[in-house]
Amino acid sequence: MRETYGKKLPGMKLSDLAGKLIVIEGTDGAGRTTQINLLKPWLEEMGHAVLDTGMTRSPLAGDGIRRAKEGNNLGRVTQSLFYATDFVDRLENEIAPALRAGFVVLTDRYIYSLMARAIVRGVDASWIRGIYSVALKPDAVFYLRVGIDELIPRVIFSRGFDYWESGMDLYPAHDMYEGFCNYQKALLGEFDRLSAEFGFERVDASRDAKTVFGILKARIRSVLESAPEEITLPEYIAERINRLAYSNERKPAASAASAMAGAQAAAKGFEIVPQPFGGPSPRVNGNGRTA
Amino acid sequence: MDLFQSGLHNAAHTDVNGHIKIGPFEVFLPRESFTPAAKPAGHHGYPGRLFIVEGIDGSGKSTQLSLLHKWLEAKGYGVVFSEWNSSPLVKDTTKLGKKKKMLTPATFSLIHATDFADRTEKSILPLLKAGAVVLCDRYVYTAFARDVARGMDRQWLRSLYEFAVKPTVAFYFRVPLETAIGRIAAARDCLKFYEAGMDLGLCDDPVESFRIFQGRILEEYERMIPEFNLTVVDATLPVEAQQAQVRQIAQRHLEDAKELRVKP
Repeated sequence: MRETYGKKLPGMKLSDLAGKLIVIEGTDGAGRTTQINLLKPWLEEMGHAVLDTGMTRSPLAGDGIRRAKEGNNLGRVTQSLFYATDFVDRLENEIAPALRAGFVVLTDRYIYSLMARAIVRGVDASWIRGIYSVALKPDAVFYLRVGIDELIPRVIFSRGFDYWESGMDLYPAHDMYEGFCNYQKALLGEFDRLSAEFGFERVDASRDAKTVFGILKARIRSVLESAPEEITLPEYIAERINRLAYSNERKPAASAASAMAGAQAAAKGFEIVPQPFGGPSPRVNGNGRTA
Repeated sequence: MDLFQSGLHNAAHTDVNGHIKIGPFEVFLPRESFTPAAKPAGHHGYPGRLFIVEGIDGSGKSTQLSLLHKWLEAKGYGVVFSEWNSSPLVKDTTKLGKKKKMLTPATFSLIHATDFADRTEKSILPLLKAGAVVLCDRYVYTAFARDVARGMDRQWLRSLYEFAVKPTVAFYFRVPLETAIGRIAAARDCLKFYEAGMDLGLCDDPVESFRIFQGRILEEYERMIPEFNLTVVDATLPVEAQQAQVRQIAQRHLEDAKELRVKP
């Protein structure tokens, strides 16, 4: 049975939310959107029905938030609650129904980003946590982490600095660059704290998009195949993964059972690309258990 | 982990000044992390005065507040009025949600909290700091009563509105359900969907649904009288008698104020 973070919304049945709720978190410019655009067709190709959702996409509050952000008069408590409204509208009308229908829900940010942004703006941390206690606990949270130094070139050579992403409502910065550094550093600090608290799976997102995609695929695959005994890899693949996974320790698996355990562990760090029937032996990509 | 419990724990015990807390409202704003500059003292801690009116639809609270407003102005006080559900930033969203019947109990609650937050941040709080007399037609107690009647969790709601300033006086206009319904029926052609609690599917007939819904709200108000120390006014009395009582109570809280602004 699915759980919430402490409080249940009226009418929210938790017993039949059978789908998988997968969260992609990270600061601005970490590549979340890119990854979701890659993951969605990949999941669909595997036969999963996918709902992708993200902040300010609710029919109720999305436009209102965008309008409110055009001016310079959106206070931090108001902003936090406007986002909470948007979140709960999507939670009740999109995320929960999709989970009930067995979908894989891919969400671009979740309550963690919303909490981090509010806390960085000086909103009381326990207050904002209390509000989001109605959120459903996800099956996995992948935290795409990019340090500030890698983040800056990504932003300046793509869309440029944005007022809100530079925390201009927050810091008395001289310019957007300073504002961006201050704000994003504060956010990263808060994300790192939340990461420890909520057990995010960290992914080093400073690497190229394809590598990150590979890591995410492997990890999501293991989320979708929840029980270990359900993994039925062909023996030659299992053997090969096992060999790679244990190559550091130079300790070959002694039994079929431990080979499966090895395959399990390896699946978290490696991308397995099956070749077309009759082709050469399978390739195993990746360079170890990252992040 | 239980996010709510962790939030509630702090909310219930933290007071940076070590003061004993009366209601949940006194703690939130003075907390250091929230408004580092605020130095609370006395009731809500600001030089201004905050008078609010509460009651079910048809209790006559708006009439009473408007009479108080005129009296305060005549006495030369700088008075500012703030109405429930009136934030220019948020009200379009609320209107959209109501018109298209998109609101669930949770989003109904949150959008009204957003509206209230905007008014708190932009007008109520700065005006109280500046020494104005602020009048509010409906306050957090409206949200508590309505949202609980819609099935929301009482504690979650109290925690949600922690950012609110505790009023100097919260007048509750107490009226029997049938009297209020009689007044509403005389004044209006038809009841609105959410006003009548039609979103709860209590009853297909709007009048009957209104009756059930308002009955629940009334119960919540009764429960809140001791919890928040609401000042009860018997709203079945003549308008003049109620107003005399309201003015007398307001007067007491104006006399002890040192830094109130007067109208230029």
